[in-house]
Amino acid sequence: MISKTETAIGMSRKWDAREAGREVAETAIKNLTRPPNFFLLFATIHYEKYGGFKEFLNGVWDVLPKGTPLVGGTVAGFMNNYGCFSRGASALAVSYPCMDVAVGVGKNTKRNPYRAAKQCAEMIQNSLKESTYKNKFLLNFISGPVMPSIPGVGQKKYIRSGFVSKFAMQALGLSQALVQKGLGREDEIFEKTVQQLPDYHMILGTSMDDYKGMKNYQFFNDKILTNAVVNLGVATDLNLDICTTHGMKATDLHFTITKLGAGNHAICKINNKPAVPELLQLLHWPEGFLTEETMSHTILYYPISLKRRGREVPIVMPAIMKDSIVVPCIIDDGEVSILTVSGKNLINAVKENLQFFDRIQPEFGLFSACMTILQTLGHKTNIIQEELLNYFKDKSFLLFYSAGEGTYSPMTDITYANMSFNTVVFGHDKKLSN
Amino acid sequence: MRDDPIAHVLDDLMRLDDIYACIVARRNMISVMPSSEGFKPEVNQIWDVIKRAMDDVFTVIGEYSGAGLSEMEFRLQDYEVLFYVFPDTENALVAIVPALANKGLLEVEIENARREILKIMNNPTQKPNSQKKDDEVYVTA
Repeated sequence: MISKTETAIGMSRKWDAREAGREVAETAIKNLTRPPNFFLLFATIHYEKYGGFKEFLNGVWDVLPKGTPLVGGTVAGFMNNYGCFSRGASALAVSYPCMDVAVGVGKNTKRNPYRAAKQCAEMIQNSLKESTYKNKFLLNFISGPVMPSIPGVGQKKYIRSGFVSKFAMQALGLSQALVQKGLGREDEIFEKTVQQLPDYHMILGTSMDDYKGMKNYQFFNDKILTNAVVNLGVATDLNLDICTTHGMKATDLHFTITKLGAGNHAICKINNKPAVPELLQLLHWPEGFLTEETMSHTILYYPISLKRRGREVPIVMPAIMKDSIVVPCIIDDGEVSILTVSGKNLINAVKENLQFFDRIQPEFGLFSACMTILQTLGHKTNIIQEELLNYFKDKSFLLFYSAGEGTYSPMTDITYANMSFNTVVFGHDKKLSN
Repeated sequence: MRDDPIAHVLDDLMRLDDIYACIVARRNMISVMPSSEGFKPEVNQIWDVIKRAMDDVFTVIGEYSGAGLSEMEFRLQDYEVLFYVFPDTENALVAIVPALANKGLLEVEIENARREILKIMNNPTQKPNSQKKDDEVYVTA
């Protein structure tokens, strides 16, 4: 079978925003003989300081054919056929005759996630309802968490003061509603999107900065947005499937959540005791071990597996407020397992993920993965890049690192997880290709 | 040194907020420094003691580089010093970062710099990627 699919990876390592925008588009477009059906664009936060994202997108549109559907945003890092990077910009451009494409946008995701999700999904639904292609895919890309700034304290992941914590817990909802700082609420948006578009295969990803959680931006055609969800919807005759894997293993450490707070976004008590001291005891960590400085080097490597609407959800614990643990999604109370993760297990999770696609002759692939994996593996993340390159060979792939990710398919339902690899592969059935 | 392609790779690293200093060095000798940007002021007060500690680490690198030693690091006060060794040599790319920086993300770019410098060392006429023109860089995927 002669492939009619043309794909290209755009890439820039330039510092100047406009030049980088131009280069990321040029390096992709020059490898296509036809205009792309869509252009997925990811960049690290650095361009904010080197010209700004408006200029970055201006650079892209200096080159990209007018009217090309474009979505994307800022990410903690990315990986593609050329390597692994925590600075720069990359794009995936695809041109294929048997493909219909739509993009959608919804605003104010932290204030009103359901409305944003509905608005965004409806744009896809309306644009693709006439499509005759039966295989449908959606990238659901959402503004990630932004640490709220507390008066007199600033933007902190760890708050020791009981008074400030009590105020912060109560203010969390208010902060989301008024200034749209706080959790990304990507779990709620993803669920609503699935409800709206149940026959799509989906990947969930979130927009981030350089792991600090201070700001993030989304791209929608020529617009720069904050607190937005952007969707890329694809209907095609290409074979496609999705898969989520993670390398986390259960330990024999368990506890029971006995009190939740902050709209079920915070664990206040475990085993009927204040959550943080009890967790420290379970992990044999000394009192005072967790601080603003040690947070990202310690507790993020001890994910927990809990329940959300009856589904197992492995998550990390990104913020501490005195005796309470803030979690990235709405959770249920009940039994929880403490998990552990190693570099080897993370790499094995990638191998396991790719094995799922053994029957597909790939044309291109897209991945969302947890930025904590990038932070954990450091430059060893190149081992993952080698695995992906070995699978895709000369076919394009793009992985972006985010903070809250997952997949959905009509067969497997929603998988929302932290510290996970989420894949969509487009291609042909190997039997038909041979 | 201004036209040294390795210095331009170091310039790129220095633009990252949490890279306070970076050099290509061996024991008792700094081979290449960034050309356009100096070290960040944070390291000035501690540079002398870091330099002495670095020289001791280079003794170990010289001893074990041939055996496959590829990275070393030490923490001194509020700083971490990362050594990315060039295989089978006594030279390393050295970066000084804040002790509690998001090291994983920095490591990715330090490794990219090591790879680029290695390419330049193996092919001295090659320009670093940041200096290349657009049509020299990428291939179809």
